[in-house]
Amino acid sequence: MLVEHARTLVGITDATHTEYGATGTAIVTLLACSLDGTQIDIAIAQSSRLASIYGARVAVEQTTCNYGLEPAHAEIATMHGMRAVAVDDTGEVRAVERADHPFFVATLYQPQLTSEPGKPHPIFIAFVDAAAVAEK
Amino acid sequence: MPTITVLIDSPPTARYHAATVNALGHAIDERDDRDSFTIDVVHTDAISTIGDAVVIGPGTPYNDPRAAEAVITSARERGVPLVAT
Repeated sequence: MLVEHARTLVGITDATHTEYGATGTAIVTLLACSLDGTQIDIAIAQSSRLASIYGARVAVEQTTCNYGLEPAHAEIATMHGMRAVAVDDTGEVRAVERADHPFFVATLYQPQLTSEPGKPHPIFIAFVDAAAVAEK
Repeated sequence: MPTITVLIDSPPTARYHAATVNALGHAIDERDDRDSFTIDVVHTDAISTIGDAVVIGPGTPYNDPRAAEAVITSARERGVPLVAT
């Protein structure tokens, strides 16, 4: 999502993910320290959709991420309608969303890993609710 | 009858593929209209149309990153709910 945002809206037409090679402007890059297989504490922005979804301003999540938003381009997460709505305890962006859209959320962690039968993750509950509304 | 497109390239046996589809199922199972939902799992190099909502699953590099970006652009411009993990 961040590469698409950079290419289409921010105007960084050669934006890329370093996993695809060295050419272009790297927007998503290898983390200095892999988070794969770890739990992270996230702080969620006030008045965000994500805060409404969680009903809280903090959460603990699991992640498999080896990549993150390149710090030199962190400002793109706050441009053209995108909002950085969660950061980890190092200050790195862990979630973004758009306020001008029915439901447009990206996480740099994996909420599906903590979903259980009878206890779905709140992001998936909210997403499925949005899907039901969209279909009508 | 909402159709949710799950764009993911890893095989169904992969942990994150299964976790993504299962998480959708957990949320759908809590609803009275659970039987109306369809989950359509598609690889990035096979996507043609998207459903009423889209999940961009984990697992870069994608088979077709430009197709994944096109799906994101379309969902954003058309107001189709999207979650990317």
